[in-house]
Amino acid sequence: MVFPFRISPFLIYLFIVGNLLTGCVSYRFIKATEGRSVSDALEEFQAGKTTLQEALETLGAPDQVAELEGKDVLIYQRSLLSNSGLSFGIPLTDILGSSFSFSAHGSLVRHDLLLLLFTPDGTLSEIFSEKGSRYPYLKAILSDKKGN
Amino acid sequence: MNRFREALFILLLAFILQSCAGWAKSKDYYPFDASGLDKLIPGKSTAAEVTEMLGAPSKIVKLSNGNAYIYRRSFSKGTGLWLILVTFVNYDKHYDQIVIFFDKKNIMTHYGVTLDAHKAAYGFPF
Repeated sequence: MVFPFRISPFLIYLFIVGNLLTGCVSYRFIKATEGRSVSDALEEFQAGKTTLQEALETLGAPDQVAELEGKDVLIYQRSLLSNSGLSFGIPLTDILGSSFSFSAHGSLVRHDLLLLLFTPDGTLSEIFSEKGSRYPYLKAILSDKKGN
Repeated sequence: MNRFREALFILLLAFILQSCAGWAKSKDYYPFDASGLDKLIPGKSTAAEVTEMLGAPSKIVKLSNGNAYIYRRSFSKGTGLWLILVTFVNYDKHYDQIVIFFDKKNIMTHYGVTLDAHKAAYGFPF
């Protein structure tokens, strides 16, 4: 039987190296998204004019509701978790008595938030909005500044 | 030599196929039915009528001028791909939510509905 495929030395090399490295090098990336995207309502709504009814019709049910200093707060939020890890090690304990290993892991949760404060009669009094997802993963996780 | 190449090819194929993929889904289930919400009339419907239609709320929050009944359930889907050296996992969670506002006399004043649970999707994190 003549084998129909020709295997290049590079593939053999890749196979051997890959097998040697299995378990020694690994990279992991996990992304978790919770909730719907939060509308940028700063342009749509106006404090003193927009009503609770209009906000509910536009944005739907809020994720959280609370009372704060006599006002009602509607909170719309989405969270985005990014988790990555890289590890590299060469198990040489049996030969040298110690092993070389390196690993780096990072986990970042970014939040998109929209807070609407309503007076007891149902009129919008204040709006707060923050889009945490606009910050790039690496820039956000490597920054040592608070809030950046 | 051909037999050697054949064996090597099978080994190479087995090595390449040393991967695994997985899917999962989970529900935080509350059996409320949002289809009858049109029957609720702001300014008339009472808290008793709402609970008769939707059942017990997941949460009740006290507000400045009454209460809010919150009905919430979630649906999430996860996808995982484990290659030889690389692992990718994606998790997507969405909610069905109904928030009904009552005044101090337990009369419904407003309600908001978001039915997004079906939007949870399988996928990759990139």
